[in-house]
Amino acid sequence: MAEGIGGAEAVIDLKPGSSIPISYHPSFGPHDDLLLLEADDNLVSDIFNQRVTLRGLADEDAVLCTKSKTFAIKFVGNSNSMFLIPPDDDDTNINNNNDKPLVSVLKIAPGNMELVEVSPRLDKLKQLLSANPYGASEVDAMMDDDNGLDDDNNEKKGVKLYTWNDLVNTVQASDEELSVGLESLSAVEIDGYWRVIDENYLDVILRMLLHNCVLNYWSFDDLDEDEVVSSLVADEFPSKLASPCLRVFGSRVSSNGTGKWKLEPRLVCLHFARQVLRDEKMRLESFMEEWKKKIPDGMEGKFEMLEGEVLTETIGIETRVYTFSVRSLPSTPAERFSILFKHRSKWEWKDLEPYLRDLHVPRLSMEGLLLKYTRRAQPKADAPPVFSAR
Amino acid sequence: MEIRVKCRCGEDECSEWAIVELQGVVETQASFEGSIQNLEIGRLCHTESSQETYTFTVGYHELIGSKVILKKPLLVLKKLQLDDEVSGKTTELEVVGIIRTKILFKTRPKPLISGTN
Repeated sequence: MAEGIGGAEAVIDLKPGSSIPISYHPSFGPHDDLLLLEADDNLVSDIFNQRVTLRGLADEDAVLCTKSKTFAIKFVGNSNSMFLIPPDDDDTNINNNNDKPLVSVLKIAPGNMELVEVSPRLDKLKQLLSANPYGASEVDAMMDDDNGLDDDNNEKKGVKLYTWNDLVNTVQASDEELSVGLESLSAVEIDGYWRVIDENYLDVILRMLLHNCVLNYWSFDDLDEDEVVSSLVADEFPSKLASPCLRVFGSRVSSNGTGKWKLEPRLVCLHFARQVLRDEKMRLESFMEEWKKKIPDGMEGKFEMLEGEVLTETIGIETRVYTFSVRSLPSTPAERFSILFKHRSKWEWKDLEPYLRDLHVPRLSMEGLLLKYTRRAQPKADAPPVFSAR
Repeated sequence: MEIRVKCRCGEDECSEWAIVELQGVVETQASFEGSIQNLEIGRLCHTESSQETYTFTVGYHELIGSKVILKKPLLVLKKLQLDDEVSGKTTELEVVGIIRTKILFKTRPKPLISGTN
């Protein structure tokens, strides 16, 4: 056996028929700064590629994030004595007078950390951004300013705005989950800050955009970003809101980054449906009439587009429709089901499903979710099943 | 707050640590005074047999165990608290080692009546 080879290697490579003494390390102690983390091979790979971070505020339990997933960190104690043996190093050899291999225990580990995949904590994102939607008053204030002294102004008003980095430091979600969360809120980046735009203000810009499309014979499927922005600027809209508007209501046409966009009929029609309904319940027939009037020529409004955004209730011979958006509901399953059942005690699957579609819970399928949080009843064999609170 | 988990080495070069795990607690004799650093705990032996067994002799006790390959490796992380002029107090986490196997002693210690080896 080579002289002086001790440490962990000596334990791992200990040949049959050989033995070695194990001692307490010269620096044996609690070493509370040394932690053990259980990690599967994928995570080990992510960690070595510098793709893993811990996120959270001081008063929260930290979560571990890879590029696309979020994990809660649990400490699991071990009542066994786990002798932690580091690899051979210079410190141990200095004290080793007799050149025999030294195997030293640096610390007795009380346990290790385990990871449990969890849903990203996106409700906070909703809260943070909805607190300060970008609206008409901010636009006016900006137009009055000489140039972008926005930062100072916002701080003066005590308004907290969030850059991507601010969000990463505040919201417990991986980068990918955070991006998806921002998209589902129709949030856009303005002046480096992620904002949701006030719906009434969006309405004004959208209608102007549609008006310009008609005026210029532009196709909804083939909009040139620069042309759209110029036309809106000519109508005295700030240019930095024109592009976001395209992002809220459209999607990029992938053709080598030529700045081409198409409007998404569902998003445009949904917007107008919400404008029609506001906070009221309308008779379905009246709603459909009003809605069709607002929808631009060339687009077709279908009621299915409003799944997860409006609900109908039938009382007697009358059916009424009202706004009830999945985006206003909590993203955690327990809270989501609680709100849904408070709103309506019994649901048919066809009405319930759109409000559950976006729930992604690690290790739990839709069936599992339903089993866990609902009670299923089938009053008659030929009637559809009905779900209520457990 | 975001803390990146750093490592200075790649996966293949990461130093491998070892764990010897036993049930119960190793104690120094009541009469022992002084610090336990450098004190010998016991002797680990890889038995010469067809089975992958190990023995660990501590004082007058012998434990019997085996090498276990961990289903999920353990990473050894070091937490560093830094005080930066610019960013104030920051915490960093660095991977300093990886553990893929451990020697696990699950049996009750067998007293060696006749003394050591």
